[in-house]
Amino acid sequence: MLRYLPVALATVSPGKPKLLQDGFFVRFTDAWPLTLPHVKGKSFQVERTNEVPYDLSYIIPAGDYRDVDLSNATGGENIYPENTRTLYEVALGFKPGNYLVHFYIPAGEYVHRLEQSGMAPNVASATLRYLGASKPEDSPYDDKRIFMYFVKDLEPLILRTFVDTGMPAAVGGAEHEKCIFGLTVNKCYLKQIISPTPEQRDRAKEIPYYTELRW
Amino acid sequence: MPSSSLAMAASPTVFATEKRNAKLKPTLIMIDNVLGAQDAIITVQDRFTPSVTNGVPIPAVQTPTRLSINVSMNACVSIRDELKDMEILGQMEITIATLDANCIVSVAYHPN
Repeated sequence: MLRYLPVALATVSPGKPKLLQDGFFVRFTDAWPLTLPHVKGKSFQVERTNEVPYDLSYIIPAGDYRDVDLSNATGGENIYPENTRTLYEVALGFKPGNYLVHFYIPAGEYVHRLEQSGMAPNVASATLRYLGASKPEDSPYDDKRIFMYFVKDLEPLILRTFVDTGMPAAVGGAEHEKCIFGLTVNKCYLKQIISPTPEQRDRAKEIPYYTELRW
Repeated sequence: MPSSSLAMAASPTVFATEKRNAKLKPTLIMIDNVLGAQDAIITVQDRFTPSVTNGVPIPAVQTPTRLSINVSMNACVSIRDELKDMEILGQMEITIATLDANCIVSVAYHPN
């Protein structure tokens, strides 16, 4: 449900669309929990799509962070669908700045960590703050490379947005950074395919559950 | 690229309000103090309220100074190259040490 699209080694022609399009197939793996019965292990065809751009911004002091909750919970940014037949494919890009973003789902559980004990993101550490962190240049605002997949009632995805140190303090105020996120919410209306053919299964975009990203 | 030209009869004078999804990048500041009554001490100020963060649950308004320049009487100064790395996070304001309606400041900028 979270994917990083690396820079392409080669281009193909005709180009392959970054976002899901009408008629595309998606398949949710069996790892999705029983608490999300509307998608667990199911295959769908995208009936129609609608791309909705949206920007978020936060001004944060250096050395401090804000947890940005993308879910529809109180205090969240309300980027999750409310309909069980809707999938939100969200492309995320960043405007330039001196900040890092760590992904957590649900709150407090890192998406990116290494296997050695203690090798987990930690914004309080001068070194571990860079572990698993996305920097603005990793997913530019105009060439978004981070893709997230949200369905109704998915646990909250948290973007821990940390403004790095090292900026000169201005006269009359502490150093701050404006962190600007560009979102493209690709609303996909889904039609379930009860018995997908082998060809449909092969062509389907597989959407893993977040637990499959951690082992 | 928006621009505005205002007399420094009030301080601070707002040249651009905050744009939530962009920083403001000034590209030109011209200070015409040819008819000014005294030397003009001009300051470019950024005004914003930070977001609620882990360390600051109730943030206060911040007004950091981004640029300060002293322009003599009978002088006109134009700044362009020196602004290339300057960013305004919130509202762009300009202050003058002594109010003077004959000191004219022109600013051009673009959202980034």
